Amino acid sequence: MSEGVRPQRVRVTAPRPGEPIAAPAEHPSIERSDTATVYVRSLIRSQLRLAIICASGFIVSLGMLWAVLAAAPALEAVVVAGAPVSWLLLAFGAYPAILAFAVIFVVASTRNEAGYRSLMSADPES
Amino acid sequence: MNPVLGYVAIAAVTIATALIGFFGLRISRTTQDFYVASRTVRPWWNASAIGGEYLSAASVLGIAGLILLQGAGGLWFPIGYTAGYLMLLLFVAAPLRRSGAYTIPDFTGARLESRLVRRLTTVLVILIGWFYIVPQLQGAALTIRITTGLPSWMGAAAVSIIVGLIVAAGGMRSITFVQAFQFWLKLTAIAVPAVLLLITVGRDGGPGVDPAVAFPAALGPASLDVYSTVSLVIALLLGTMGLPHVLVRFYTNPDGAAARRTTLIVLGLLSVFYIFPTVIGLLGRALAPELASPGEADALVLLLPGMVIGGMLGDVLTALVIAGAFGAFLSTSSGLVVSLAGVISQELAGGSVRGFRIAAIASSLVPLAVALVLEPGGLAGSVGLVFAFTASTLCPVLVLGIWWRGLTARGAVAGMLGGGLFCGAAILLGPLLAAAGGWPAWLQAALAQPAAWTVPLAFALTVVVSRLDRRRAPRGADRVLARLHAPEAAA
Repeated sequence: MSEGVRPQRVRVTAPRPGEPIAAPAEHPSIERSDTATVYVRSLIRSQLRLAIICASGFIVSLGMLWAVLAAAPALEAVVVAGAPVSWLLLAFGAYPAILAFAVIFVVASTRNEAGYRSLMSADPES
Repeated sequence: MNPVLGYVAIAAVTIATALIGFFGLRISRTTQDFYVASRTVRPWWNASAIGGEYLSAASVLGIAGLILLQGAGGLWFPIGYTAGYLMLLLFVAAPLRRSGAYTIPDFTGARLESRLVRRLTTVLVILIGWFYIVPQLQGAALTIRITTGLPSWMGAAAVSIIVGLIVAAGGMRSITFVQAFQFWLKLTAIAVPAVLLLITVGRDGGPGVDPAVAFPAALGPASLDVYSTVSLVIALLLGTMGLPHVLVRFYTNPDGAAARRTTLIVLGLLSVFYIFPTVIGLLGRALAPELASPGEADALVLLLPGMVIGGMLGDVLTALVIAGAFGAFLSTSSGLVVSLAGVISQELAGGSVRGFRIAAIASSLVPLAVALVLEPGGLAGSVGLVFAFTASTLCPVLVLGIWWRGLTARGAVAGMLGGGLFCGAAILLGPLLAAAGGWPAWLQAALAQPAAWTVPLAFALTVVVSRLDRRRAPRGADRVLARLHAPEAAA
C-alpha cells in the first residue's frame, strides 16, 4: 500500500449513551415515510419467520435422528468399519442437516432483502 | 514421550504466531485497525480466523477425551459447538454486523439507551471471557506436563504471557492473520494423524477388539439421559452467540450479507474439522481404553499417534498434534483477550490504544491466577458450563434486542441478573451437592446441566419485566431495528 492511498487517521471511541449506533450515512434507506416503516417491519417479520422455521427444522431433524437411534437398539449390533452404526450416525449424521439449513437460510434471507430493496426503489417518495 | 518433540513443536508454533502477529502489526496503524481490523477482512480470511479462534482446547483435546471417557454422550459436544454457529447465523449474524457497535456492551447499551445495561453487560462479558480462558490454560498445563514433563503451571503461564504480549502489541488486525493461520494449523494437526491412524488400523485388519466391548450399549446413543442431553444441547446451541470473542469477529465483515456468507463458510469449516477429533475419540475407545480416566482422557489426541504408529512417523505426528493443541490454546485465549481488552478499555479508558494494551495484559493474567488456583476439570465439561452461563445471560438480551421492539432496559437487566444468578448458583452448587451425596438425582441433574431451566427462565424474566415496563420502551427502538435489518445501500 503506498503512502498516498492510506486513509486519514480517525479517532474511534465508544458511542455515548443515546447516540445512534450506526453511522446514518451507511443507511440512507431508512427514517422516512410511513410506507418505509411498514416495509421495514414486514422485512423484519419475514426474516424472523425464516430464522424460526430454519431453527425448528434443524431441531426437529436432530430430534428425529435421536429418536431413531433410541427406538432401534438393533442398530447397536450392526457394525460398520469396526464401530456400531448407531454411534457413527450420531457422530457424523448431524452435520449435513446443519449445513443444509444454513444454506437455505442464507439464500432465503438474501432474497427477502432483495425484495425489500426493490420495494424501496419502486416507492419514490420514501 | 520424548520431551524434545514437545519443546520443538511448542517453540515452532509460538515463533510462527509471533512472526505473523508482528508482521501484521506493520499493517495495523489506526485505532479501528486495533479494535476490529478496519472491517475490511474478506469472508474466507474471516471465516478461517473465526474457526481458528473458536476451536479451543475443548474442541482439539476435550472432545476425543470425552468420547473416550463417556461414550456416545461426548458425541453431542461437537454437534452442539457447530449448531451453535447455525443459531448465530439465523438470529444474530447480519443484524449485529449492521449495528455498527464494537462490543456486546456497546450494542446493548445503545439499543436500550441505558448506562446500567451497558455496565451489567460489560461485567458479564468480562466474567465469561475469564472463565473461558481458564480451561484453555488448563489444557496448556496438561499438554506441557504430558509432552515435556515440566510442571503443569509452566504451560498455563507460558500461554498467558505469550497471548498478553501478542495482543498488546498487535491488536485485532494481526490477530486476524494469526487466527486464520491457527485454523489451518489445527485442522492439519488433527486431520493428518486421524487419517494415518485410520489407514494403519485398517491395514492391520481392524483394531482387533470386540465392538461390543469398545462401544458398549450402556454408553451408546440410546442410553443417554434425556434431560442432561437436551440441557447440554440448549447450552451449546444458544451459548455460542453470546461468547464475546465470537461476536467481535463479526464486526470485521464489510456488511450484513458478508457476515452471513462468512458464517456459512465457518459452518463448513467446523463440520469438516469435527470429523477428526470424533474419529480419534472413537479409535481411542478401541485402542487406548487404559487412558479412560478423568485426569488423562484429554491427553488421548496427544498420545494415540505415538502409541499406534510409533517410529519416526509417530514422532512427527506427535509433534504435529502438540503444535495443533498449543495453537488452540494460543488462538482461543488471544481471541478472548482481544475482545475483553476492547470491552475493558472502552469502559474505563475511553477506547485508547494505551488502555487496550494495559487491559490486554490484565485480561491474560487474571485467568492465569484462577487457573493456577482451581483444580482442573474435564476440558469439554468446563467449557460446556461457560456456554450454559452465556446462554442464560447474554443470549436473551441479544436475541430479543435484535428482534423485539418491546424490550426495555429493566427487562434486560432482570433477565441477565436472574439468568446469571440461577445459572451461576447451579454451577457452584452442583459439584458440592454431588460430593455431599444423598440429594435426589433430579436435583443433581438440574444443577449439573442447568441450561434447560435457566435459559427459559432468563427469556421469561426479560419478556415479563419488559411487558410490565412497557411505557419505558426506548423511543429509538424502531429506528435501531430498521438499521439492524435493512440491507445496506448498494455500494
